[in-house]
Amino acid sequence: MLNYTIRRLFFVLFVVWGVSLATFFISQVVPGDPALAALGDKATDEMIANFRVKNGLDQPVYVQYFTYIGRLLQGDLGTSLRTGRPILDDLRDFFPGTLELSATALLIAALLGIPAGILAALNQNKAPDVIVRLLALLGGATPIYWLAILLLEFLHNKLRLLPGPGRLDAYLIAPPRVTGFVGLDALFAGDWQVLGDSLMHIILPAFVLGAFSSALLARMTRAAMLETLSQDFIRTARSKGVAETRVVIKHALRNAFLPVLTVLGGVLGGLLSGAVLTETIFSWPGIGRYTTDAAISLDFPAVMGVTLLAGMAYSLINLFTDLLYALFDPRITYA
Amino acid sequence: MRKQIGAVVILGIGLLAVGVAQNSRSSTLVYGGDFSDLISLDPGISYEFSGGLITDNLYETLVKFEGEDLSTLKPSIATRWTTKDAGDAWKITFTLRNQKFSSGNPVTADDVVYTFDRAIALKGNGSFLFDEVANIKIGSTKAINKSTVEVTLPKTASPAAFLNLLTFNIGGIVDSVVVKAKAVNNDYGSAWLKRNSAGSGPYVLNRWDQNQQVVLDANPNSRLLPKLSRIILREMKEANTQKIALESNEIDIAENLTPDMVKQKAADSKFNVYKADSLRLQYLGMNTGAGSPFEDAKVRQAVRWALDQDSMVNVLAGGNARKVQTIIPAGLFGFNAATPYSVNPEKAKALLASAGKPNGFEFEMLVPQGSCAAGVPCSDLAAKIQSDLAKIGLKANIKQIVQSELLGIYRAQKAQMVLVGWSPDFPDPDGNATPMSDYGAKSLAWRNAWNNPTASKLAQQAALETNATKRAALYKQLTELQLEEGPFAILYQPKVPVTLSAGVKSYLRNAQGQVRFEKISK
Amino acid sequence: MLNVAQPAKKQASKASKRFWRNPASIIGVILLLLLVLVAVLARVISPDPIVQDLAQRLQPPSSQHLLGTDQLGRSVWGRVAHGAALSLQVGVVVTLISVGVGVLIGLLAGTFGGVWDNVLMRITDIFFAFPSLILAMAIAAALGPSLTNTIIAVAVVSWPSYARLVRAEAMALREREFVEAARAIGTSPVSIALRHVLPNTLTPVLIQASFDVGQAILTAAGLSFIGFGAQPPTPEWGAMVSETRNFISEAPWASSAPAIAILLAVLSFNLLGDGLRDALDPRNTK
Repeated sequence: MLNYTIRRLFFVLFVVWGVSLATFFISQVVPGDPALAALGDKATDEMIANFRVKNGLDQPVYVQYFTYIGRLLQGDLGTSLRTGRPILDDLRDFFPGTLELSATALLIAALLGIPAGILAALNQNKAPDVIVRLLALLGGATPIYWLAILLLEFLHNKLRLLPGPGRLDAYLIAPPRVTGFVGLDALFAGDWQVLGDSLMHIILPAFVLGAFSSALLARMTRAAMLETLSQDFIRTARSKGVAETRVVIKHALRNAFLPVLTVLGGVLGGLLSGAVLTETIFSWPGIGRYTTDAAISLDFPAVMGVTLLAGMAYSLINLFTDLLYALFDPRITYA
Repeated sequence: MRKQIGAVVILGIGLLAVGVAQNSRSSTLVYGGDFSDLISLDPGISYEFSGGLITDNLYETLVKFEGEDLSTLKPSIATRWTTKDAGDAWKITFTLRNQKFSSGNPVTADDVVYTFDRAIALKGNGSFLFDEVANIKIGSTKAINKSTVEVTLPKTASPAAFLNLLTFNIGGIVDSVVVKAKAVNNDYGSAWLKRNSAGSGPYVLNRWDQNQQVVLDANPNSRLLPKLSRIILREMKEANTQKIALESNEIDIAENLTPDMVKQKAADSKFNVYKADSLRLQYLGMNTGAGSPFEDAKVRQAVRWALDQDSMVNVLAGGNARKVQTIIPAGLFGFNAATPYSVNPEKAKALLASAGKPNGFEFEMLVPQGSCAAGVPCSDLAAKIQSDLAKIGLKANIKQIVQSELLGIYRAQKAQMVLVGWSPDFPDPDGNATPMSDYGAKSLAWRNAWNNPTASKLAQQAALETNATKRAALYKQLTELQLEEGPFAILYQPKVPVTLSAGVKSYLRNAQGQVRFEKISK
Repeated sequence: MLNVAQPAKKQASKASKRFWRNPASIIGVILLLLLVLVAVLARVISPDPIVQDLAQRLQPPSSQHLLGTDQLGRSVWGRVAHGAALSLQVGVVVTLISVGVGVLIGLLAGTFGGVWDNVLMRITDIFFAFPSLILAMAIAAALGPSLTNTIIAVAVVSWPSYARLVRAEAMALREREFVEAARAIGTSPVSIALRHVLPNTLTPVLIQASFDVGQAILTAAGLSFIGFGAQPPTPEWGAMVSETRNFISEAPWASSAPAIAILLAVLSFNLLGDGLRDALDPRNTK
């Protein structure tokens, strides 16, 4: 198990390297000039030349790449061409926003999707099943930016049920930064008002972001449950007169959990993509918006920073779910 | 039971959220806008719009404009200033007021010297104003005594232009004692000043959460006593988000509503719409180089006869713009109000025929992403132009690309047609006349490969002419020449409509986008 | 996967019966047919999507303007109908490219194994590790926005799942008797891959592909929404939602019509995929 984990960790490094190489390659075929993007229309030729020298853009491609890798090995992601700050600082500022949003979205997705899937499986082809399947189909096909605009218009603007865009009410000042997660920071500072307000603010964007995933989870859970419910050991348990709730909770859920677990890794990857769209509409200061802004201004060092981070997160999450898998299913061992 | 507990918890959270301290609302102004261009709050570095809006209120300049007027300089840190002809140079002397920075340090001549030298040394995006427009170098600014500063300008520069550009945020005087203490690696404290303030303006920077908000608090040491104790600039990129936030009183000012939203709010007694002037011109640039379809001046005239500017102004911009056809914007000396072109497809087609292109042609129109002047989405404006030109047989293929890519192509003379905007660097007609007319200036005329010696000469002469009557005559000649032969089709000069909650009073914004926060009340 | 012990024909007719008995697949097919019909007949049944009438802007749906008009007075129905062909084209072309690339790589890896397998699958893993929309956005930014580049960008993020799928099937088949038999009589690996492995992977690929057409439409529309897609005034659905999103209060039809069109298109392919899977994958028959 330990050997396996170490091997997989090396593999994570490899994937991260590959991701950096791919992004670097893309950044080299960009037709626009990042110097112009950073300096604007009024830039003189001299300013552009200075900018190129300062950011190493005047060097041959392979030199740029090795400089980049060299810095990367020292934990330096370079400087953003757009914000002029170390990319690591930018990521530290923006990552908590996205993580907060994605984690809440995942929670909402799980809380909606998994029970819905179970409900559907236990009532196969009856009304609850049909409704869940219909909702799951719609959830899997709705463009989330439209869902975001629509819910914002009705739940916030028309009905005033939920607060609008942003992480906090404008008049509230966020507590001192400890973790970067507004809710946690408020908890540390004992600021209940900010905590409450931040929770209210996150519901809508997190629901929008989680809608697609909850549809996916509902489908997966339903399928996995149906599969286990039809297996022999469940039939045996039932025939032995074990109470139905117990059958479901103790036997079926436990076994259906594994296939659901495997999709969670993929769901997290999807959440980051969804964040690009959700954060724009909800004025949410996160990685998604940061990356969109970076791509528009051809700030490829920043885009590379984000993809590296995302690639690493994705690989680690996959490793984690695989290990969990082994933990829950004694039949699987990794050598 | 569990459900009930859940409901109680949710209700409790909701109540907490509603109970946002009401008393802070009356003394706080929340300003909503797209501030995503903000990269630094260092007055010596910032040259983007949002940076200017904020730093203008953190720092004071030696001289400034007041209200909407951009013609009379008013005292600010300097109470008096004189310009002397010293033979081979101009000497401008400023007498400083006795006042303090937010730190409590006095504002001295040394601070002015440090500020100017620092701005030149930092080579920020706006530094060309000092070294290329005013031609000053490190050492050109000298402290005569504690409250007197002298700047030496070479004769190649205009003292009036220099004084004008001192009103920009690059002329914002920084507290040299504080900034020097924060300097690391010879950076003149720019890393620190990016997210902190050290000025004598009416506000100090409390915090900047990137892509979220900038919080300014009243500066207790300032001479200019602000009416509101806190200004929060809340970043909202989407027009719809700003509209919703304005309607729910979450923000007091919305800067980027669409023309339709502005119209709707103007009719609502709960809101006021303030239409600020702007010196920006939205225009089409046509490449006149050899082999370009727009090489012949008649083709460029045909384009002007095809464009339905009235609809652009009245429908797309919702009336928040002025129809302009000449190269100097209204509000500046030398503005030519002539609008000889109207929609006349027959005339346009006849011109095309006489230029040897009776069947029209196909070409590429480069369009930036996002919004064009007056908040019109560039994609809509481009679609409108495409449809106008189609009526005279010209087929424009729209290519909407990121701004920097567009500039790269345009600046290499490789664009056929571009849809872009231009603002003068300082409120003087030369800020448009030279870039748009003088091929040798390697700016807009050059980008469109328009080499017209008469136009170049007129622009150069007018720039240095000190006699107002003669200067006006030169600009009249130049604008008329441009109207006939120039490479541009000027579309409109926008207004900047700012929507305010009815309670917000004394909001003013000049054509350079400067807003004095200290005067606003609510 | 097909059971070789059973005559293939009988198997196929059983699957077809299962497919047509499933309400999901029937609805999917009907929706898809409607979509194709609209796409093909757009010129006949709907007005010009480009022509503007500023006097008629933001008009609500009426007998004159079936789905109302947008901010430039263009017919929303005209734009939605003309956009159908574009979205279908994007979805199908993206899927064809990703199936082609993915199947080829998966076959190579699965058939030859060893170094081939290692190298190709590690490359696949790298592409998997990218958040798809961010990679697509970076590619679209690098290539410049256009419908063709959107197709390329989405295809780049879509192929890896096929490579994994085909490789897994190929690996499983390697152990099967008929493949082992073929190998024993000296059939070349290429021929085994083409004659035995490829046909057997077609079923799962087909199921996956029918889902992916919908996903490709969704991703491409998302790219257009953030400005990395079709050029104006192309009536691309995602771009239409983006251009009209600021009019959601006054003219909800302008952004909702293309959004619902996207939803229906994706839905039709998802239903089709569900139907195909239930019909073709015997493990799923209940």
